[in-house]
Amino acid sequence: MSVVSPPATTRVARRASALGPGLVALCAVLAAVAFLSVTQGSRDIGLSEVLHALRSFDDDGSISSTITLELRVPRTLLGILVGAALGVAGAILQGVTRNPLADAGIMGINSGAAAFVVFAITVLGVRGVGVYVWFAFAGAIAALFLVYAIASLGREGATPVKLALAGAAVTAGLASVTSGIIMTNVTALNELRFWQVGSLAGRYAPILTGVAPFLLVGLAAALGFGRALNGLALGEDLARGLGQHVGRTRVAAFAVVAVLAGAATAACGPIVFVGLVVPHVARFICGPDYRWILPYSMLLAPIVLLLADVLGRVVAQPDEVQVGVVLGVVCAPAFVAIVRYARLSEV
Amino acid sequence: MRAWRPILAVAVLSAAIAGCGNNTDSGGTAPAAAAGPWSFTGGSGQVVKADKAPTRIIAHAGEAAALMSFGIKPVGIYSDESVKTDPNLKNLDLSGITILGEEWGKIDVEKAASLAPDLIVGDWWPAEKAHSGMEEGVDEKSKKLAELAPVTGVSQGKSIVELAEGYEALAKSLGADVDKPEIAANKKRFEESVTAFKDAVTAKPGLSVAAMSPADDKLYVANPEYAPELLDLQSFGLDVLDPASPDPSFPYWENLSWENADKYQPDLILWDGRSFTATANAEWGKKQPTWFKLKAAKAGATVSWPAFWLHTYGDFATELDKLTEAVKAADPNVGG
Repeated sequence: MSVVSPPATTRVARRASALGPGLVALCAVLAAVAFLSVTQGSRDIGLSEVLHALRSFDDDGSISSTITLELRVPRTLLGILVGAALGVAGAILQGVTRNPLADAGIMGINSGAAAFVVFAITVLGVRGVGVYVWFAFAGAIAALFLVYAIASLGREGATPVKLALAGAAVTAGLASVTSGIIMTNVTALNELRFWQVGSLAGRYAPILTGVAPFLLVGLAAALGFGRALNGLALGEDLARGLGQHVGRTRVAAFAVVAVLAGAATAACGPIVFVGLVVPHVARFICGPDYRWILPYSMLLAPIVLLLADVLGRVVAQPDEVQVGVVLGVVCAPAFVAIVRYARLSEV
Repeated sequence: MRAWRPILAVAVLSAAIAGCGNNTDSGGTAPAAAAGPWSFTGGSGQVVKADKAPTRIIAHAGEAAALMSFGIKPVGIYSDESVKTDPNLKNLDLSGITILGEEWGKIDVEKAASLAPDLIVGDWWPAEKAHSGMEEGVDEKSKKLAELAPVTGVSQGKSIVELAEGYEALAKSLGADVDKPEIAANKKRFEESVTAFKDAVTAKPGLSVAAMSPADDKLYVANPEYAPELLDLQSFGLDVLDPASPDPSFPYWENLSWENADKYQPDLILWDGRSFTATANAEWGKKQPTWFKLKAAKAGATVSWPAFWLHTYGDFATELDKLTEAVKAADPNVGG
């Protein structure tokens, strides 16, 4: 270490003083992206028409008004909530399991939701995104509960390693059941194909109002985990020494993740990468303090998600590309770049 | 038949496989075929030959229905969905016929081999250069069906009428008496239906229709170029819309995002029969904010479109009659 470099404490303090305004700036960026998401789409609608529709906030029956108010506004709000939920859920999972690859997918949430959707299609014969939401939600929560229960077996409780293994095992088990069913049922395959890509299309007000309460409560609760996650990051024994109830923290964190990722996956299908990559970016900006990582993840993730969705809507007019596909194409190289060029903070 | 797959096929779930595997020898009740060597030129242009006319035939669903309409009963059938719901098969007596598959891309080849077939009949799909049951995406194991016996079939090309005529020729070569009165009656009924349809269309100048398939994330508009029954309707004088930019990788459809649902404004919507129900229009109006931006949908001007399954004069006649009624009831000024 060179003599001229400032002591670490000053660096952290300086960082903290910049992080507050940074959050405000991110809020402004999110607002700008949300505006973009309402004004841009697979159909060209003049800005004045969009603004007129927004001002009156009443569907006057014109196509531009219907599209703005009934398609784009709910889609944008859903994108913000789902993005925020996935980002913060990923950050919490990475913190609580101390696993840099943790996200909703690795904890069995996507496979649980998919398995329940397939069950709903094949056994109960239901159809349509509006109904799948609730099955997916139940499936996500059931899978996460199962992962936690399996990892909790044994005296030492749900350790990070056991959580990762249980998550992988439950994911593999549920995924093979799902593919077993869809291989023999072409209807289920067709239905699941759309759900499984992850999309904000075709999700309107009923879905938004259905999942919004869960997501809002979950997001509020998630922000309270900063200090506890900082403690866990020091290692379980040290956290215990600092007076933390490690087991209780973990259960509470998992409950919040189940609600957030469960509701998000239920609404839009399994959306990849956001929950995995965004917390790393947040950690890169904020350093190891979860009191900052969580709100940063909560704002960065919807920005990424909405931008990807807008991109998917404008590249293939009059068709559109699902946001899950755009994220996979755009985010995978971004993740590689982050890993290659940025020194990632340790989880 | 890959055209099934891009959209939400809302076929009813397959029921349990109807096992009739023990009656393998009761099929093949074809009338005595002409003795001597047999040959048939399929839709691919390939000629299949045999020492005598085949009698133990395995056929794909609609093709089987076509042969059965001429009195040729196959020994085995493979279908894309449950034979109880397949539009070609659901009203037919399938007793004595072994069911070899009730799902797209899955054929029980072992069971098929036990039937000792001497001919496999499946439509030829020119866009995919394959017979039904041997297209890309079909199970590799299922494709081995083609090794059991020669494969032939009529081309799913530009017309259901040509398809029906092709199967009539095939049935005739297999020994069917295609001049039987009930067959002639079906043909006559079809011709009458065509005449009635043409009259109805002539009486509605300016009526435009589009074939569509609404799905959760998109609206699919059918491209008549790859839907023979729509080409037939065009040839009968109906103005069926040709979408401007079909999906290049899957030209059966043009995909419209729901924001662009009103890109086309037909006066009457032919709704994919695989998802059409009496209440579908109202349901979609409720659930898709832009569905009723299609003026025809708003006005309730929708009718089931027999998408990609017709094979026989009889079925085509029945479906045409329904379309005739819809054309008669349609208002050519709805779409504007």
